Amino acid sequence: MDSTTQALTILIILTAFAVSLIVTQFIRRRKDAFPLRPLPAYAAIPLFVGEAIEAGRPMHVSFGGAGLGGSNTALTLANAELFYQVAQRNLAGTTILTVSDPSALPLGYGTLRRALANRRVTASRTQLSNGVRWYPAGARTLVFAAALTGVLGDDRVSGNVLVGSFGPEIALVLETAARRRQSTIAGSIDLDGQAVAYAMADHALIGEEMFVAGAYLGDSAIQRGSVVALDVLRWLLIAGILIATVNSIREPVAAALSRLLSGG
Amino acid sequence: MIRRLGTTVATAIAIGVGLLSIWGLLSGSGVVFNITNVMLQLVVITVAVTILIGILNLFGVHIRRITRRSGGWVYSIALVISAAAVLILWLLGERETNNMLLETVQVSVESALAGLVVFALVYGAYRLMRRRVTWSAVLFTVVLLIVLLGALPLPQAGLLRQARDWLMAVPVSAGARGILLGIALATVVTGIRVLVGQDRSYRE
Repeated sequence: MDSTTQALTILIILTAFAVSLIVTQFIRRRKDAFPLRPLPAYAAIPLFVGEAIEAGRPMHVSFGGAGLGGSNTALTLANAELFYQVAQRNLAGTTILTVSDPSALPLGYGTLRRALANRRVTASRTQLSNGVRWYPAGARTLVFAAALTGVLGDDRVSGNVLVGSFGPEIALVLETAARRRQSTIAGSIDLDGQAVAYAMADHALIGEEMFVAGAYLGDSAIQRGSVVALDVLRWLLIAGILIATVNSIREPVAAALSRLLSGG
Repeated sequence: MIRRLGTTVATAIAIGVGLLSIWGLLSGSGVVFNITNVMLQLVVITVAVTILIGILNLFGVHIRRITRRSGGWVYSIALVISAAAVLILWLLGERETNNMLLETVQVSVESALAGLVVFALVYGAYRLMRRRVTWSAVLFTVVLLIVLLGALPLPQAGLLRQARDWLMAVPVSAGARGILLGIALATVVTGIRVLVGQDRSYRE
């Protein structure tokens, strides 16, 4: 890593750290200090869970191919928070959590166990092992998608939250869900999967929206603080891109203007 | 009390290891870098162990489905028999038979599924317009049609091919980069939340 990249990385980390910390303190004093922009996908989750409880059918949440230890680690942790919020709201019903990467299994167990423990419901071993399911992806994730279509039918799922790493094969799952009139929220770190999710899911989560479930569904000040930090970083990035663009076109534009003014 | 102590120790270890890893990866050499490498190797070993948890989970879930006659229990029988057969063959050292099974069964099934994805996608585009006609949905469908028609090997589709190339090179590429930059920034912010011990997996 060269020194410029090192300096930039440290600068970004420090900025995010400082903004998160400062904003969190403000939010702890006044909860509405930094209002969040509405995201329909998160607004729909309580409704989907309510429908599942009323129908006596399970909610299905899935990490897809996201797991711990690789480039998707942060996404997996953020998704665990989203699935925790879904499972906690769905304590009167059943939540099925499916994973394809085995490294997400312990996190899945932990997520469901914590959700159940939070309402003083003892998580039995059977509840947990039935709730968390591993479907190996094989050479391609198509097998995982095929397995999910089976889960949707066999378990008579009411709603699906598919947020993690999915390829275009998520189309199979979303098509099955649509055919069975099951509600869907989907988002993927893979751009092909993201495009399919946008077209086919009832609500889509795009890009960084997948990382902010804790701020929208929970009440933690640090989660809200990290959303503000994300916004600040985004505006800094936009400013950086604009400055770089202006810098690169300044000389040719100046030359063209001077030619124009001198009548050339 | 003991549980809270355990949580505190876990948080302290996570913060310590996280900071050390950042330091090591940024420095790129030296003692801290070597320690970071050892930790990353430990991660690989831990991930390998989780495959064992996965196999136990797979058998546990599907044997329970069979014994309780839950929906789709017949498929569970097929799954348990297949998984057991693959494991036994692997233990007997029958790698070639295993590979043959993979090539003839799994790859063929996956190829068939890949064909189905196209139909699912077309249905998805149709459903998008049927569900709600918004500006973004119309734009999505128009772009999709231009890209699909532009890919046709017809001599009359020259203009469409140019439009498709421009769409892929400029707006699609810019949008993809925008999404990836957003994901990268969110990854940094989530990483910091974990580093300061505020992730739920440490707090509770």
